[in-house]
Parts: sequence; C-alpha cells; structure tokens
Amino acid sequence: MSAAQQVAENAPVIGNPIPVGAEVYNRIVGFLYQEATLLDTIRLKEWGATLAPDLVYTVPLRQTRPMSQQAQSVIRTVQHYHDNYRSIMGRIMRLTETRSAWAEDPPSRTRRMVSNVQVFATDRPDEFAVVSYLLLTRSRFDFPDMDVISGERNDLLRVDGEGFKLGRREVILDQAVLGTPNLAIFL
Amino acid sequence: MLTKASYTLADGTPLSDLVRVPTREVQMRALSDPEIYQLEMDRVFGKTWLLLGHESEVPNSGDFVVRDMGSDSVIVARAKDGNIHVSLNVCPHRGMRISTVDAGNTQIHKCIYHGWAFKPSGEFIGAPVEKECMHGKMMPKEELGLPQARVTLYGGIIFATWDLEGPSFEEFLGDAKWYFDTLFERSDKGLEVLGPPQRLIVRANWKAAGEQSAADGYHTLTLHRWLGEVGNYSKSGDGGSADLSPEMYGVEVSSPHGHALRCIDLGRKIKKLSGLDPAELTVDQKLEALPPPGMTREMLPQLRKHLSEEQLEVMVSMPPQVGGIFPNVLFAFVYIPQADGSVLGLTLLHAYVPKGPDQLEFVNWVLAEKDAPQELKDRMLMQSIQLFGTSGMVEQDDSDTWPHMPLAAKGARGRRSTLKYQAVYETGAPAGWPGPGIVNEGFTKDDTQWHWWLYWNELMNAKA
Repeated sequence: MSAAQQVAENAPVIGNPIPVGAEVYNRIVGFLYQEATLLDTIRLKEWGATLAPDLVYTVPLRQTRPMSQQAQSVIRTVQHYHDNYRSIMGRIMRLTETRSAWAEDPPSRTRRMVSNVQVFATDRPDEFAVVSYLLLTRSRFDFPDMDVISGERNDLLRVDGEGFKLGRREVILDQAVLGTPNLAIFL
Repeated sequence: MLTKASYTLADGTPLSDLVRVPTREVQMRALSDPEIYQLEMDRVFGKTWLLLGHESEVPNSGDFVVRDMGSDSVIVARAKDGNIHVSLNVCPHRGMRISTVDAGNTQIHKCIYHGWAFKPSGEFIGAPVEKECMHGKMMPKEELGLPQARVTLYGGIIFATWDLEGPSFEEFLGDAKWYFDTLFERSDKGLEVLGPPQRLIVRANWKAAGEQSAADGYHTLTLHRWLGEVGNYSKSGDGGSADLSPEMYGVEVSSPHGHALRCIDLGRKIKKLSGLDPAELTVDQKLEALPPPGMTREMLPQLRKHLSEEQLEVMVSMPPQVGGIFPNVLFAFVYIPQADGSVLGLTLLHAYVPKGPDQLEFVNWVLAEKDAPQELKDRMLMQSIQLFGTSGMVEQDDSDTWPHMPLAAKGARGRRSTLKYQAVYETGAPAGWPGPGIVNEGFTKDDTQWHWWLYWNELMNAKA
C-alpha cells in the first residue's frame, strides 16, 4: 500500500456542505486568504506554523486521457510533490536558512488567487474538507513570461484554538506538462 | 568523420568553428541559435539512440505511451507479438497527430480526422468504407504504415533511433556499456518505473541540460551548496560540512560517443556504516555494508549472475552515481545519507527533450528494482520526488539556472562568448582500475563534458 493510499484510508468521511456565509465558512475563507498572504510575502516559517504534524501534502501528475478515462488523468504514483510535515519543514529550512536556495533566490513574485471555496463537514467535528480553486502567477527575474499554475486544492483543515491547521492538501493541477521550470514554491 | 567547413551558418561562420578544440571552448550561440537547432534535429536527434521510457510502462499488448524523439512525437506501443514498436505519430494521410493523449491501451490507433487506422505495430489497417478505397490505388497498403524507428531494449529501457542503418545500441554505448551494465543489467528481474514520468517545460536549450548531464561535477559545489548547509550532506547527515568538496573525488569515465559517468568514492560511507576501513573489507563485506541503490541485501546474490568480479569491484568502491547517455539523458543512481545515519539509494533517469532553440521538456522517470519490497519502493519514491525532478530540492536549482543561458547567448557580445572546459585531467586511471574507456581519477574535471561536445561536434559536421 502506498503512502497516498494510506492517507485515503485515514481520511474522514465527507458530509454535508456548509453554506456560503456561515460563520465557520467565513473563518475558513479567512484562513485561506491569510495563508495566501503568508506564502506570497514569503513568510514561510509563519506558514509552517499553520501545518499539522500529521500533514500529507501531495501534487499528483496529470495525463491527457480520453473522456472515457478521466479517472486515469490524475496520477498518484509518481507525483510532483509527495511530502509530509517533516519534509515540508525541511524545504522551508532550505529556503529560509541557507544562502544557496537559488531556485527561489532571488524569490519569485507570486500571487495566489484562491476562489470557489466549498466547505464540507466531516464525521469528525473538528475537521473540515475544503475545496478551492488556485490560480498562481509567478514572475522571475526580468523574464517577460509570467508562469501560470492553476489547479484545485483539496484540503483538510482541523480546528486549532481560534484558527485552523492544515492536515492534508492535494492539489490537482490542470497542466499535464508544467509550464514553470520547477515547483520550488508551495501551492 | 570530420569534414572541415561542411556547413556554413547564415552569418558566414563555419559550423565547425563553434567548437574550438585547441582551447576547449564552445561558442555561446550554440545555446540559442535557431539554425543550429534545426541542424541538430537531423544530425544529432536523427542519428543517435534516444531514451523513450521503460517497458514496464507498456506491460500489456496494446499498451502505449506518446513520447518525443527530438522534435517528433512518436507512439511507443506493445504489439500483439509482445514487441515494442515506435511509430511516428503523424498520419500519413493528411498529417494529423494520430494519438492526442499521453497513454492508454488500444489495438487500433485511429486518426480522428479521416479515420485511417493503424495497428500498435504501425501497420496500416485501412480507412473507413473499405470498398470505396479512400487511400486510393496508387500506393499499396504496406507502404501506408507509420514510419518505424529502430527500437532496442536495454535493461528494459526503451531506446529508439531513426538511423536505421547506423551503429547498434551496443556499439553506440561502446566502452561505457561495461559501467552502465552495473546500473541497468545487474539483477534478475531488472528495473521498473514507479509511475509515469514527471514532465515540465524549462525555457532553455536542451544542451544546457545535456552537457551538464555529461558529469558536471563542479556545479555541485556552488549551485547545490545547500546540500552541505542544511541538506543530506550537512553535519547532521554525512558527518561532512558545508564543504561538498570531499564528494568531488573519484573516477570519471567518458566516451568518444559523449557518454559520461561520475564514479564517486564510496569509502567514507562504507567506513561510517561498517565502522571498518574499506581497504580491509572484501567485495562482499562492502556490498553487505552498503548495497547498490535500490537493492536489498537479499538481492545481492543476483549480482554475480550478471556482472563480473571487476564490475563488482567498481560498484563497491567507485560506483557510477551520476552521468549521462548522449545526447540528452541523465542517470542518477545515488546514495543519499539519511537523518538516522543510514543510506537510501535512488535510481532515476531524465530525458531533456528539445522543444525549440530556447525550450526543453524535462522528463523524469523514477525507477526501482522490480524485486525490491514495496516499503523500499515507497521510500525511494518519496525521497526521489523531494530531491529530484519538479519540486526536487536539488534539481529545482538546475532548472532555474538554465533559462538564463539562451538569453545570454542572444546578446551581440554574449553569443560570441564561450563555454570553457579547460580543467583538464592529468592523472589517468587509478592503478589496477579494471574498467575500460577514457578514465581519470581525482577531483572532478571538465574532460567528460568536453568529450560530450566533441561528439556533438563530430555529428554536426559529419558528411550527410
């Protein structure tokens, strides 16, 4: 059994949608906006503090497949990211505590536009399944090309005091061949 | 064979002037010039064996993947007879791409435009409304199949070439095969892919990645310095420090065909793992202390069935860890220090597919021994993704560097600047070194990359 399958087995049962504008819905949207701010302003250690220690963070590959085989268009064997809390914190350490993380030094100028937020209750009172769209623009150096990364986040947020911790994130990207030279940035 | 001034570029520069042999320099314009790129598509990518994938990607009859040979899309398919065929993915009727997907299974590849249909072997089956004979009567069906590349499997890896009469794959690998066998032909069941490859576009000329793959040791010291700062080779990892220079010693092997291998000294790792002086240990004790990347101790008896004692000696002392297969392949069979003091081996292959003078597609396959336990494959997969390829903390720095080079190569002055390969070995092979090829020991040098360029130069200037 692969790590990704194990996660699926530990995942909560997803329940009813929580209406747009409900108190918890608004708090979750606020969390996503704040998270985008932390990542876009490269406050990576503060972002790290919002991650749950049992975090699973994955970005599957996509393949172009016929209409009849859409389930096979998401690849969860080899992926673009396949991380846990420890490895994400390692990535943050590389980016913040070395003088040679060149892929992001000088850093990209990014915007994470987060929209189409849907929140679902789960069978665990303190956990919410959150689906959102991500449109990430990335500009590097004086290059005229703006890299665009678009996808759907499937998150699991866990209540943590007044806020939330990210317990699970899977980002379903839209490109089968990524148009950015690496994913040295978090999605 | 070199023929001087076999071709003159549009501005009057002889093609043979791009590589300056006496001073080991290459004109920067080679990294961006569209005219040079067009020549490469025929003279390099039309003449050499190209990596397309692994047979474990197409295990069953009808399975196919769509890949690239240079600037051409090809269908890599397993036919009913079990053989893998590589067919040009262009309909001979009106030029439509026949397969518009990345992978699948079918016994009939049918063009969506006018319905011409082909077998996985590329043979023409027919067009719709057979009795009306859409394909006409001027050419027999046998001549309307998809053009076939010549295919070979090496350790299950699929290579193909359009050069139907040229050297065999074995001749192409030459002396380097002796070393590559220790990676790809070492076990009973061989390697498999752990999934489809990662793919991403880098706005850089394919040669920026290709020449680096020909065993550029020096870039590790600076571009990948973080490995010694906080990464796997820092104090907590390998007992090292921010200085990665101890990893730069070993043996480098190059080839008249541009293949290259960095054989990095394993002595310190074996000493750390076994607590013993490697000089005092037998081949078997060293294998036991540190099995080859991706292999378990239980699999070690397989090695002697496939490899010679001399090959095993190299594997336990100076194994090939990174390098390239000309023109655009990188292999990494690396031993990664873990936080708990153990070592995890990783086995990867990359192809850098040319997508225009200023663009390449980085294709990354993660491999494992078929026989390895699932738990090991899972660990290899996660760590491969974390260090190499798209988000890999090592290779994200490479793919961010290469895009600057075609831009530099466009400058009126920059294009006349040169890449320099002037750090020359003066050592030769270590005493008693059992392997063939052009072999040098010591701190990394530029020879392997220079030999890569010499073969590029030879192909580019060869008589048509």
